[in-house]
Formats: sequence, C-alpha cells, structure tokens
Amino acid sequence: MSALAEILFGGLFQGSLYAMMAVGLALVWTTIGVFNFSHGVFMMLGAYIAWQLVELGLPAAVAFPIAVVVMAGVGWILQASVVRPLIGRPNIVLVVVITTLAAGSLIENGALTIWGPRSKQIPALIAGNTTIGGVGVSLHQIAIIVITPLILAALWMFLNRTRLGLALRAVAQNEDASHLVGLNVTALYGLAFAIAASLAGLAGIFMGGYRFMSPVMGSDPLLKALIVVVFGGISSISGPIFAAYLIGFFEAACSYYFGLYWTPALLFGVLILTLMVRPEGIFASRSRGLA
Amino acid sequence: MTDTTSPITLSHAEAAAPIAPGRTPWKHEAIGFVLGFALLALLPLIFGDTYARHILIMAFIYAIVASNWDLSLGYGGVFNFGHLALFGIGVYAYSLLTKLAAFDPWVALFASGVIATLAAILVTIPILRLKGIYIILVTFGFAQLVMQVIISQSAITGGTQGLVRIPGLYVFDHNMVRDGKSAYFYIALALLVASTLFLRVFVRSRAGASIVALRDNEEYAISRGVSIVRQRMLTLAASAFFTGIAGAFYAAYQRNASIDVFGMSLATIILSMVLLGGTSTIYGAIIASFVLTIFAEWMADFGAWRPMITAVLIIGVMLAYPSGLVGMIKASWGAVAGRIKRPG
Repeated sequence: MSALAEILFGGLFQGSLYAMMAVGLALVWTTIGVFNFSHGVFMMLGAYIAWQLVELGLPAAVAFPIAVVVMAGVGWILQASVVRPLIGRPNIVLVVVITTLAAGSLIENGALTIWGPRSKQIPALIAGNTTIGGVGVSLHQIAIIVITPLILAALWMFLNRTRLGLALRAVAQNEDASHLVGLNVTALYGLAFAIAASLAGLAGIFMGGYRFMSPVMGSDPLLKALIVVVFGGISSISGPIFAAYLIGFFEAACSYYFGLYWTPALLFGVLILTLMVRPEGIFASRSRGLA
Repeated sequence: MTDTTSPITLSHAEAAAPIAPGRTPWKHEAIGFVLGFALLALLPLIFGDTYARHILIMAFIYAIVASNWDLSLGYGGVFNFGHLALFGIGVYAYSLLTKLAAFDPWVALFASGVIATLAAILVTIPILRLKGIYIILVTFGFAQLVMQVIISQSAITGGTQGLVRIPGLYVFDHNMVRDGKSAYFYIALALLVASTLFLRVFVRSRAGASIVALRDNEEYAISRGVSIVRQRMLTLAASAFFTGIAGAFYAAYQRNASIDVFGMSLATIILSMVLLGGTSTIYGAIIASFVLTIFAEWMADFGAWRPMITAVLIIGVMLAYPSGLVGMIKASWGAVAGRIKRPG
C-alpha cells in the first residue's frame, strides 16, 4: 500500500512540474515553430526573482505573482531580441537553437554574478508536513499537485474560449491566413513566449520551495520537458500534459523498483522506442495545432 | 536507381557538376588548403611556450569535432544533437581499450573512430523516419542515454568520477612529455588535415552533392534515385569517424576521461563554432573553432564576464550575419573587391 502511495504521490508531484515546463515549450513550438532552449533558464530566473522579492521583505503572496509577471516581460524581451529578427530565415530552427542557448548562457551567468553560487531557498507555499497513506509528504508538494491542474485548466480555457487564445491557436495552425484576417502575428509570438516564460517561472518558484536553488537548476527540468514534449507529441497542449504525468509516474515507479541510477537510461530508451514507433508522439493527432 | 543509364542522364550528371554555381575550382582550394595548413604547421616556431601550444591543440580538436558536425548538420541538414556523444564515445572507447584491454594506443585510436562510426549508424536507425525537430530530440536522447549508461556502469567507466591515468600516444622513443607538447601538436594537426581533406573531398563528391540535394529538396532528390536511408546513414557515419578519433586523441592527450564531454556546455561551445563559422563550409567551423578558443583564452582575465561576452557576441554575429563568419568574410571581401574594380 505504501509503495503504491509513494509512486502515486511522486508521479503526481513530478508530473505537475514537468507539465508546467512542457506546456510552455509546446506553446512556443506550435506558434513560432522553434525550440526555446532558454526555457530552463526562465525557470531559474523566476525562482531567483521571487527569492529576491521575498528577501526585500515582500510577503510571498505578493512576491510570487510579481515574479511571474516579470517573467512574462522577460519572455517577451527575449523573443523580441533573439527570435523575432530571425523569423523568415530558411535555417531558423537551427539558428534559434543557438541564439536561445546563448541567451540562456547569458542569463545563467548573469544570475551567477548577481546572486552568487550559494544555494538559496524560497519559502514554501504552505509550510508543514502531513502523512497520507503511510507516506510523509509536505503541504508544499500537495499545494503544487492541486494548483498545477488548475493553472493548466485555466490555460486550456484561455486557448479555447477567449478571442486572444483562439488567435494564438490560429497563428499556430496557419500563419499566412492569420495575417490575412488581420491578426497581429508578431504580438502573438511575443504573447506565446510571455506565457511560456511565466509558466516556467512559476515552475521555478514551485521548485525553489522544496529544493535548494542554483543558477543551473533549470537544465535538468528543461531536459525532462523536452522528453515530455516528444513523448506527448509536440503539436498540442493536452498531449504534453498527459505525457508529463505519465512520465512522472514512470519515473516514480522506475526509481522505486530499479533504483535512481537506471531511471534516466530507461526513460531515454522508452523515448527512443516511442519515436521509432510513433514519431508524432503517443497523444498527438497527425495535424499540427494547439489544444 | 534503374540499371538503364541512358546516355542523356549521364551527360546531365556530368554537365551538372562543373557548372554548379559558387563552386571554387578544386585547384584554388588545394592551394589555399596547403597554404593554410602549412601556416598552422609553422606556428610552434612562433609560439614557443607550452601553454600556447596547448591552446592550439585544443583548438585543433574542437575544429575536428565542429567541422565533422558541419557535415551532418550543415550539408546533410540532419539536426544531429548527439554529435558530442560520438566524441564522448571516442573518449571512452580509447580509455577503456587502452586501460582495460591493453590495446596499443594507436590501434585504440583507430578503433575508437570505428566504434564511433558504428554508434552513428546505430543512432541513424531510429531517425530514418523522422524530420527536423524530432531528430534533435532523439539524438539528444541518445547522447543522454550514452551518458547515463556510462554513469551507471561506474565499476568499468568510473561513473561520475571519470577515469584517470589513461595511456598516452607515443612516437618511437620520443619523450612526449618533455618536448613542449610539440609531438602532440603535430599529431593533432595531422588529424585535422586528414579530417578536413576527407570532409572536403566527401562534400565535393557525388555523394556529397546527393546529401545536399536531399537537404534542399527531399522529394525531388528521392525521385531522382537518391536513397534517403543510405545517404543519411552515410552522412552520419562519415561525420562520426574523425569525431571518434578526435575523442580518442583528446583522452590520450588529457590522460583522463570524464562525463563532462557529454555536458550541455561543451555541446553549446562546439555548436556555436559550427554556426558561428557558417554552416555548409567545413572551413567556417574550423576558423570559428580557432577564433572562439583563442578568444576564450584572451578573455581569461574577465572571469565571470567571459561566458556572457561570448554569448552576446554569438547572438550579435548570428543576427547580423546569419551565414556566420564565412558570410562576414565573404561580404567584406565582396565590398573590398567592389572598391578595387570600380575605383572612385
């Protein structure tokens, strides 16, 4: 019973964090058609901004939303400086990989210079611990498990029920037609990046609440988010969300039964097999489009 | 491919090669090639100190890895993000062959190239059906898989600790340690010359033309009888051999192996060399390797600012000259040539 609870809980928790990261990557990919390799750095920066605001004396309830909004701005700026000028170039996918990697390195080293290498921690969303089904868990982790689906549902509502969200999906499906009907495509590109960056920043705040932060904290989650996105199918929002939880459970089960060392190798093995059998991901329909 | 090669298609194929636009005649290229590498061979006469030679040796290794990556990434258009894994496989293949199997270092060096080639063929299998971004992800996954296997088999590979005291190369009874690294310098240079020669001959051959054709117009190339499966395997295998040898040489030179070679930071540096130099040139990647390696040394005093300055420069060059340093050189050369032709 305890084993099952542990796997279930671990899977839900990891899955939530992966989903928050992967959705942003998928959003940027579908709308602009590029992979943002500075996504992990967004996560780190969000956590550090939140930490700085808390350090300045703001209560967490104020500091966290401000950090998320600031991250939206950072995402917009990054898009305008290293992605937008390249749109329309033939080798954009490749060049954006290097410009976002370089921008990520810039931000990462900037954070190292400003905040130093010493590990930091953000206050938890809810302090305290409890025991469920024989497994000791922190309330912070439970809060993440509860909040993440709400945020993802809100994002889904935004993309499916609001004019702006529909416009974003329209750009993802057919850019030329979006231009023709008068959508501001450049602004929508910025919006996609802004949403992705703020979700990553929020994931960083979540992570900084239970684990020590460092300027390189985003690289491993970025890797996991990449796997999730491939696994779930790159061309949708719901695919990566399901895949994030599935991989969360897979990881939790693997590390329970096979140990921590073998988990990444198994995960990558499964990933490569998935791509051989279903290159478009297991949850993807064959068309490119959001939600 | 049909076996009825009519005279018409033959003459087409023969006529197509020489008149391809923007091609440097091979004689010009050969002269530039010999001059360029002769210049590099003379460098130890100018830079007497061991440290300068060390920097140049590292630049040569990076140049081999980056220019071979340009073959798959630039010419082939295959977004192989597992290229550094092939380098890492070379490092570990050499280390394990010499340390555990007691191979002769030179045999192990060659064997590492072969092993990296086999690994490249293996990784090609899952990406045969894939395109673009999916190739990035699978090859990236492959690199991580290799790293995880090496970490988990720590009894043999040393895991995260790495391996030390790896046998170095030897040249007869020459003392490799006390010659101011000049033996290693010339071995590295010889490897770079061999690799560059191989790459340039390959990309100028029919096989090279066919992989470019696949990149630029896949449907048309296939309809003209180019096999995507065979050419993609050929591209990756060809790009792997010298990459594996470079990895083996790196292990022999450093005398240790660590999983850092699989890390994002090295991959980012080498990738920026490929893109900064300008893809589909081979020479661009080599020039950028020298520029970035020497630039990084030159800025050693800037400490923490160094990676940031490098990042800003990479972004700047990519935004201003999407075809990289070679594009920049070509553009400025064009401007100069224009001035000379039309004075005033």
